[in-house]
Amino acid sequence: MEMLIKIVHNYYYMVAILLFVIGMHTMLTHSNLIKKVIAMNIMDTSVFLMFVAVGYTYGGAAPIITAPANEVLYVNPLPGSLMLTGIVVAVSITAYALSLVVKIYRYYGTVDYDEICLIRSQE
Amino acid sequence: MEDQIVRITSRLVAPFIQVYGIYVILHGHLSPGGGFSGGAIFGASLVLVALSFNLEVGAKQISHATASVLESGGALGFVITGLVGVAVGANFLANRAAGFPLGETGEFFSAGAIFIITAFLGVKVASTIVTLFYNIIEGEDKSGDAH
Amino acid sequence: MVDVLTEVLNVLLLLFLVVCAIAVAQIRDMLSAVIVFASFGLIMAIVWQQLSSPDVAMVEAALGTGVTTLLLIAAISKTRRAE
Repeated sequence: MEMLIKIVHNYYYMVAILLFVIGMHTMLTHSNLIKKVIAMNIMDTSVFLMFVAVGYTYGGAAPIITAPANEVLYVNPLPGSLMLTGIVVAVSITAYALSLVVKIYRYYGTVDYDEICLIRSQE
Repeated sequence: MEDQIVRITSRLVAPFIQVYGIYVILHGHLSPGGGFSGGAIFGASLVLVALSFNLEVGAKQISHATASVLESGGALGFVITGLVGVAVGANFLANRAAGFPLGETGEFFSAGAIFIITAFLGVKVASTIVTLFYNIIEGEDKSGDAH
Repeated sequence: MVDVLTEVLNVLLLLFLVVCAIAVAQIRDMLSAVIVFASFGLIMAIVWQQLSSPDVAMVEAALGTGVTTLLLIAAISKTRRAE
């Protein structure tokens, strides 16, 4: 019972883990390469959700200091800044992967991993 | 993708997205956002027009070559702004020590060099996103068949 | 009362995220999957506003939703649409 209450109180972490598992399952079971890229993005986002939820303080204000700093409680700005960099890396990896997918389509005529394996086995 | 609804919507929405992007870039030292998010918003509006019409209309706004030049120019401006501090005799990217006026906190013209750096960063990021899009959509037409 | 309503809103947003993630896996049409993924990113931006980090929300809405969707649509227009 106590375990259940802890899980309910930390529902952000649970949803982050659930999203990660959904993304990994999609990435492993689908053979379309573009769908693999989308699933990788979902996994990225779940990791960001985990980190930002760690930095959240209940009832805290956004960490923006106006001229007289009058707020008492701020959320931790460090995980947010780290995840800003993470989003940039995620978009860069997406662009790189998509350019590779377009190149693969030009060479094999398909973006399906199973069909690519079939073509490669016949070469 | 030839669709009338997509074309009219993107043509109506694109100027507002660009104004919002410029607002986010210029208020980077006061509010959330800054050069990176504002540049991404601005670049996304340019890509949106090029994707919903065709590449000729997109190239009329900003061509691949112009985007590449702007990309290098943004990085160069960042470095030159940093070297002002070295020329005065302070550190690289020095702000108050290099003589930039700091102004009043909360005013629009404040924070000295951060204002200039954010503007250059916005130009750099916006042109980088346009270059990314052109690299995917054009492929290897110019470089020939590599394999 | 207000706190309870905010908690309910947060739980609903997270539920929507999970439903979107499963829908992306199940939809066979790639363009529809990309549009559902864009709505996933937008809801994620609202979640980050709820977590009091507005700069992450802004970057997610601009990059994670806008630019990623545009790049995916560009890649799909160069390849095929059906899975």
